[in-house]
Amino acid sequence: MSHATESKFQNTTGHVWDDDLQEYNNPLPAWWLWTFYATIIFALIYWFMYPSWPVGKGFLTGTNTIEYVNDKGEKKVSHWNTRALLMQDMNEAAAKQKPYFDKVAATPFDKINADPELKGFIVSAGKVLFQDNCAACHQSGGQGKFGFAPNLTDDDWLYGGSYDKIQETITNGRHGIMPAKGGNASLTDAQVTALANYVLSLSGEQMDAAKVQQGDELFHGAGACFGCHGADGKGNQAIGSANLTDKIWLWANVPGAKTADEKVAAVKAVINSGLNKGVMPAWKGRLSDEQIKLLAVYVHELGGGK
Amino acid sequence: MAAVGTATIEQYNYDIVRKFSIMALFWAVIGMAMGVFIASQLAWPFLNMDPWFTFGRLRPIHTGGVIFGFGGCALFATSYYVVQRTCQTRLFADGLASFTFWGWQLIIVLAASSYVLGYSQGKEYAEMEWPIDLLITVVWVAYIAVFVGTVMKRKQPHIYVANWFYIVFLLAVALLHLGNGLAVPVSLTTMKSYPLFSGAQDAMIQWWYGHNAVGFFLTAAFLGMMYYYVPKQAGRPIYSYRLSIVHFWALSFMYMWAGPHHLHWTALPDWVSTMGATFSIMLLLPSWGGMINGIMTLSGAWDKLRTDPIMRFMIVALSFYGMSTFEGPMMSLKDVNALSHYTDWTVGHVHSGALGWVAMISFGALYHMIPRLWDTKLYSTKLVTVHFWLATIGILLYITAMWISGIMQGLMWRAFDDFGNLQYSFAETVAAMHPFYVMRALGGLVFVSGMLVMAYNCWMTISQGKAAEAGPAPVAA
Repeated sequence: MSHATESKFQNTTGHVWDDDLQEYNNPLPAWWLWTFYATIIFALIYWFMYPSWPVGKGFLTGTNTIEYVNDKGEKKVSHWNTRALLMQDMNEAAAKQKPYFDKVAATPFDKINADPELKGFIVSAGKVLFQDNCAACHQSGGQGKFGFAPNLTDDDWLYGGSYDKIQETITNGRHGIMPAKGGNASLTDAQVTALANYVLSLSGEQMDAAKVQQGDELFHGAGACFGCHGADGKGNQAIGSANLTDKIWLWANVPGAKTADEKVAAVKAVINSGLNKGVMPAWKGRLSDEQIKLLAVYVHELGGGK
Repeated sequence: MAAVGTATIEQYNYDIVRKFSIMALFWAVIGMAMGVFIASQLAWPFLNMDPWFTFGRLRPIHTGGVIFGFGGCALFATSYYVVQRTCQTRLFADGLASFTFWGWQLIIVLAASSYVLGYSQGKEYAEMEWPIDLLITVVWVAYIAVFVGTVMKRKQPHIYVANWFYIVFLLAVALLHLGNGLAVPVSLTTMKSYPLFSGAQDAMIQWWYGHNAVGFFLTAAFLGMMYYYVPKQAGRPIYSYRLSIVHFWALSFMYMWAGPHHLHWTALPDWVSTMGATFSIMLLLPSWGGMINGIMTLSGAWDKLRTDPIMRFMIVALSFYGMSTFEGPMMSLKDVNALSHYTDWTVGHVHSGALGWVAMISFGALYHMIPRLWDTKLYSTKLVTVHFWLATIGILLYITAMWISGIMQGLMWRAFDDFGNLQYSFAETVAAMHPFYVMRALGGLVFVSGMLVMAYNCWMTISQGKAAEAGPAPVAA
């Protein structure tokens, strides 16, 4: 059998392994060889035209040059390089954006919306700026996330919903703090329960009248809650204290509570522990002043601007 | 027949080949199933279970499981089989060979456990922390000793081409592993270490390793496999001895330079980037040499493609090899790379190589070898055909999804509107990819189901072989 195999194939190298493994002595396919040479020639030309082999402390820069405008607006010519190519691309886009951004910077807030072309620019640039920078917390539509980041599409604003206030918030960031038990550690559990009943009654919940009465006294007395949330419980935008009279909750899980007891427990949890997590980072330095101003308009127009 | 089988068993160490073959099948099922799971995590993020079972920790289990578990065991099995049969001698040092088996399995289990626990060097395909790296070094040296020792005591005057490829794989992987593994442990009692190099240098070392892991682990070694199993299965001589020599040396020389193409448009100097791109282009034909030699070996016996599903696996593997080694050099050109880099196109490219070439050629080799190892016939040729179609459909679904999603992703990232603003936010590009993520997971699922068919078929083949071995023995006694 193995003899038959050996004689079956002509023009082999004559080596045989493992009974029947053999190799033909065919030449290299001509198309293969010539294409291989062609790729080498391609590489040689490439090396001649573009930065290639290292020589001493430098490298062959190649014959190709590239013209670009640097960040200072100066025209530069250099040997071809990907950095300049990227700059060329980015500067081209930046040049298109510039007249619009200049206009955003120069136009007062109340006039911006009157200009339809500028409005178009703001919607287009704002969408991507918002989604790439803000949406991670405030979500892609600005609807916010309970227990994490406020909704930007309603008309309830912790720090104010005017153009200027929104711009201030984005520029410098915000950090909301509520001390545990309003800073009065001596409050008893029964007193905190009474306070929670009162706070819930402010937004129209039907609560135990006696506890509401007791809570009212504490709110405006020993609890000192009125100091931040105001005598009417409507909050103070200068310090970012929440309005307790509307049905919007960011931290106390009242919307998720089914019974009155659960609602009380949710509000109590916040009073007892206080809050130190309402942090929004400052965007000054990360975004340009024009980008921040543009975002202020974009956020204002999400639905709740004042 | 039984007498021949016994003689063969005495002449060659088949025990070690059998063990590695079984583990290749085992890790294939585990590694590929893990792939389907992490693909599903991308499509349906709720499947991420913090902290142990998140995509970030499971992904290296998938890549390590298929590359080092399945691919590695398939290479151990076939290289030990091929070197014995083509050198016509028993494996050098049975004990050392057995050590490579247990050592390698331990490495894969340790690596996978450490990833789940959060230990990683953060280097793609080299995530193992330093204690595991040291173990790999020891096992690899033993592997080289067993293989080269066997070649040295060969009873054949010439070294068969498959063995050259296995040897270059052994040497290059040793070099790469030592180079990229250079790290300073925080202390001898912690798993954590920091790489010796930093910044762009470290990135360059990593991709010198990463690309040559593809080049020597996933290409050269599997070409070695191809050079034995394709002519054996076809019953015909290799097409051209001269081509095998030229493409062997050209491939070994060119591959080492191609790594920088993974770092185009980064802090890497442009001249290094150019080297990566041009050597990748020059690598095209040396890569194709293997494909030509494999496919042309079948010239004159094309009818086997109709009748032999094992041959079909091998030829389709070579076709995918040819396709992805064409696609690779194209993607290494800086302008194409500007679109493709960081997108799913890269993921699709890797899988057309990994599923299409590496897995398909290994399936062919294992189907050829397993019946011979247990001295029996394949349990079902029909199931091989079923596996073939499941595998092919799975790959096509997978890479089509990734091509569409990757190119779309790249185009969306770079799109500007008339104002000069970016047209899409990153989140919008993710949302656009979702249907293709689902399609990819589905393609993977189809591929894994084919793998399960193979595992069943091989299980039945082995049981059949064992039964035949146990059966006649009492009669003879």
